[in-house]
Amino acid sequence: MAHFQVSLVHWLANAAPPVAEFMRSKWGWPMAESIHFLGLSMLVGCIGLFDLRLLGMAKQIPIAALHKLIPWGLLGFAINITSGSLFLLTEPDQYIYNPSFQFKVLFIMIAGLNALLFYVTSWGRVNADGTIHAPRAGKVAAVISLSMWISVIVCGRLLTFYRPGGCPKEGPGLIADCNPQMKPEF
Amino acid sequence: MMQFLSWLESTAASEWVRGSPSLFAFPGILSCHTVGMGLAAGINAAIALRILGVAPSVPVGEMRRFLPAMWFGFWLNFFSGIGLLLGYPTKALTNPDFYLKLALIAAGVWLVGRIRDRMDEFPKGLAVWSLVCWGGAITAGRLLAYTYRHLMAGH
Repeated sequence: MAHFQVSLVHWLANAAPPVAEFMRSKWGWPMAESIHFLGLSMLVGCIGLFDLRLLGMAKQIPIAALHKLIPWGLLGFAINITSGSLFLLTEPDQYIYNPSFQFKVLFIMIAGLNALLFYVTSWGRVNADGTIHAPRAGKVAAVISLSMWISVIVCGRLLTFYRPGGCPKEGPGLIADCNPQMKPEF
Repeated sequence: MMQFLSWLESTAASEWVRGSPSLFAFPGILSCHTVGMGLAAGINAAIALRILGVAPSVPVGEMRRFLPAMWFGFWLNFFSGIGLLLGYPTKALTNPDFYLKLALIAAGVWLVGRIRDRMDEFPKGLAVWSLVCWGGAITAGRLLAYTYRHLMAGH
């Protein structure tokens, strides 16, 4: 296990004890999960809709007009970064060592870079009043965006199936402390 | 009832959904159910937001053109939902929360039709109810994992 992952897990585990305590209460985790899924839907509903528009759906709507929905998609993203952090602060082991989580983070970063590239390369043309057809670069960005967010959702759902296991109830709580094989290799 | 559920759980299809190591079994169906949720609930939310005044330069009636993508998500979830139900019928059917979720979805679907037909009149009340129903369905669905009383009818 890479050294930085072990340090990150230890840091996260000690970063905000009251958060972990709340999350371990009866309704803490279920509430955060529900909010995470509401945020997900806002993100997909607004950003996915804009992607579909770039690809040619609902051409009667000017692209720049529909773009006003994007802040609501970003709000969904902010809600999910926040609610997602609650899980991470409570069970850091279950995410940091989980390949599904690692891919999820990678796909989120690609989606972010893709959005950035879209604004640099295509936004000027798309934002012109009454633009009906997205340039090719805009359509490519839309396909990447849709496939990345779908992949993020799939990785999120697969987290459960790639859990790194845990520690016995007695003894230290973090995998790196209870399982010598998880000690840093270098 | 329990006898029927026990039989259902013993069918090959149910065992496959529940026990197959294939990623296309339970994990894949669950993933489809979440993507479909984002599309169905999310697009209905975007339409509701437009009716409530967001993105005012979008001609409100044209938001109807996104409904096929919303229905795609809905039917994806209808069928993936049947798959999940087949895997763990007792878990869902013995939990009142599951019927609450179905009722909220039924109300949400009814609202889709009402809103579609009156979109140009900016039906703000209906839009708020749509947000409540789809948000409620998501929450009730998410809580299924924490509120069930019996996982399986059989052993």
